[in-house]
Amino acid sequence: MPHSHSPRAQIEARIPSAFASHKRLESRTLLTGIPEVDSLTGGIPVSALTEICGPGKTSVLVSLLAHSSHEHYCALVDASDAFDPVSAEAAGADLSHLLWVRCGKTKQKLRPLEQAFKVTDMLLQSGGFGLIVVDLSDIADKVVCKVPISSWFRFSRVVENQQTALVFIEQQPHATSCARLVLKLAAAPAIFSGNLLMSFTLNANVTRNCEKKGVQSATPDFSVKAQWA
Amino acid sequence: MFACLLIPDFPVQAVLLLEPADTREALRRSPMAVLDGPSTLLKVIALNDAARNGGIKAGMTKLQVETCTGVSLRKRSAASEESAQDALLSCASAFSPRVESTCPGTVILDLDGTEKMFGSPEKASCKIAIAARQIGFHPRVAIAKNPDTALYAARGFAGITIIPEGHEARELASLSVSILPAGPELPGVLESWGIHTFGSLAALPPIALVERLGQEGLKLQKLAQGRLERPLRTTEPAPNFVENYEFDDPVETVESLTFVLNRLLQQVCARLVSYSLATDELRLTLDLAVKRIQGSNAEDQYRHEWKLPVPTQDRNMLFSLVRLELERNTFSAPIKRLTIEVISVKPRVAQGNLFAPPSPETEKLEITLARIRGVVGSTDTEGIHCVGSAKLLDTHKPNAFAVDKFSSSTETRSLSVIVPTLALRIFRPALETSVELTEQTPHFVRLWKKYRRVLATSGPWCSSGNWWNAAVWSREEWDVALKTFKGIGYYRIYLDRLRKQWFVEGVFD
Repeated sequence: MPHSHSPRAQIEARIPSAFASHKRLESRTLLTGIPEVDSLTGGIPVSALTEICGPGKTSVLVSLLAHSSHEHYCALVDASDAFDPVSAEAAGADLSHLLWVRCGKTKQKLRPLEQAFKVTDMLLQSGGFGLIVVDLSDIADKVVCKVPISSWFRFSRVVENQQTALVFIEQQPHATSCARLVLKLAAAPAIFSGNLLMSFTLNANVTRNCEKKGVQSATPDFSVKAQWA
Repeated sequence: MFACLLIPDFPVQAVLLLEPADTREALRRSPMAVLDGPSTLLKVIALNDAARNGGIKAGMTKLQVETCTGVSLRKRSAASEESAQDALLSCASAFSPRVESTCPGTVILDLDGTEKMFGSPEKASCKIAIAARQIGFHPRVAIAKNPDTALYAARGFAGITIIPEGHEARELASLSVSILPAGPELPGVLESWGIHTFGSLAALPPIALVERLGQEGLKLQKLAQGRLERPLRTTEPAPNFVENYEFDDPVETVESLTFVLNRLLQQVCARLVSYSLATDELRLTLDLAVKRIQGSNAEDQYRHEWKLPVPTQDRNMLFSLVRLELERNTFSAPIKRLTIEVISVKPRVAQGNLFAPPSPETEKLEITLARIRGVVGSTDTEGIHCVGSAKLLDTHKPNAFAVDKFSSSTETRSLSVIVPTLALRIFRPALETSVELTEQTPHFVRLWKKYRRVLATSGPWCSSGNWWNAAVWSREEWDVALKTFKGIGYYRIYLDRLRKQWFVEGVFD
């Protein structure tokens, strides 16, 4: 049987890229500005999907925005309009470089979660953003669970060809293998000093990291201080 | 040399200009007439060649025309003729700074000194005709030594006509004297003399002509000979970038609007390009056919304006912005008139910066933001924008913020030292709650329909403001640790001291 008549050759004749190996772009990362998290994860991967969950996720998000907004244009898709610009400004974020999309504020046909996903799609298509954060923290876990895996897969494939880090902030991770990094946080009781709430001690745990496998079991503690501390 | 750019059957071509490009050519080939006059007695004022061949004549009533099958009838639109004349002037201005708006559908250009740019008269006339065709006209172009010879050559001959210097009388000889600007009696007099053409008028002895017809006769003879010299009455084309369209019947669907809108934007953008200008502000006005019912306050006009971050000439971008806005809105009445106005500015001259951070493409971003507004809405119930850049307000009121327009052309701030900071997640609106106090300190807080024990507190932090106006506020703020079903949660609660009501403002996360 001639080589050109092999099933592989026939398929490739019809679909040239059927057996082409998919090459990932050279991985770049964005630093969160929290040394413990950065050394643990190597940074938030660009051209990939990342999930951050657990208590303290908003503080990590704000730190990431503060660090990234000086070098990149960032977008925050806020599914439940819970973002606090005061906290972000106090953390050092450049708010003029941050596009804030507040979902669920008007009577629209789509629900906040659907709005958030549609807006994320549009932002990815638009391009030019170094970081896109989708905050689904206040959306009930049972609702996010119903998001089909194909949606996560589509996001991961779209972002692969862009110089954008796509970060989801959730109560629980849902993207499974579509996420290149999954960071789970846990919090110890907050520290009160006299009459003042001073700081949170957080604990980071990488449950999935396709880039840096050696340190997945490390769980360093770090603290986030209140603005007035 | 002077060039005359003339649009035959101008009212018909002006109306056709507003038709979609694909149907325009078909309409041009089929019989078409434009009607004007009182609605009870509409008469044909202009028609195309196909209609003429079909036996239709100017002055026929609508009823008479309707007996002919396959004739498209349109009502005359002064606005569309005005826009078409503006477009014609803009087209001519691209070839010469000295342009005369002779009459509706006719402009004369002074081509002296433009040979190096546009070549010989033959090449220049072709280029002028192509430019007019790009707008959507089917023009006639004539070039001659003086303006009037060019004008009558364009009126008399179809297509492109070049009259060499010194051959004016010979070239114009075959034209009918009926196109000369004579008084009401003169055509009859010339007819009785057996003078029908320019050539026979030009051949009459001038002294005898003056004796019989006076100076007017001599002027007409010079016109017929192509010898009348006059200065060009140049018009400074006012950069007025307004286009409007009045519908015969008010339209209710966005689809009906969009193709007219596309056409108007195309004309405006073509004119901007011809003036080497761009726009950074676009205004849309829709006049609604509101039927007034006693006591109703329905608006009879819808207005919207877009301020663009960078000047643009991109029709597609402007069209997308307007279309998205129209799709997002519902109107209280059908639309009877559409007006587009753009504010002209100098085009952007910018050089890319190798060291600047990558940013969203400005034009593309505008459309993306408009699409996002279509999904999440434009403003919330408090009038704060749903899409944009957050900006903290310079007040002492906690969490006072506004949302400004997001722009990808803002300057980058230098990176300061960043310390991980405890962030708050805000409940918008704040959750009404009730608090049990023990010794003026919160002891139990009602949250998610249950009273939660307070494990630790930080406060009270009292603040107030705006006591001098109606927006007065006064609050007592506490940060509390509550025992919830998920573990310990840290919340910010406050007492509105004016309303005597407790609220949960947010949660530390």
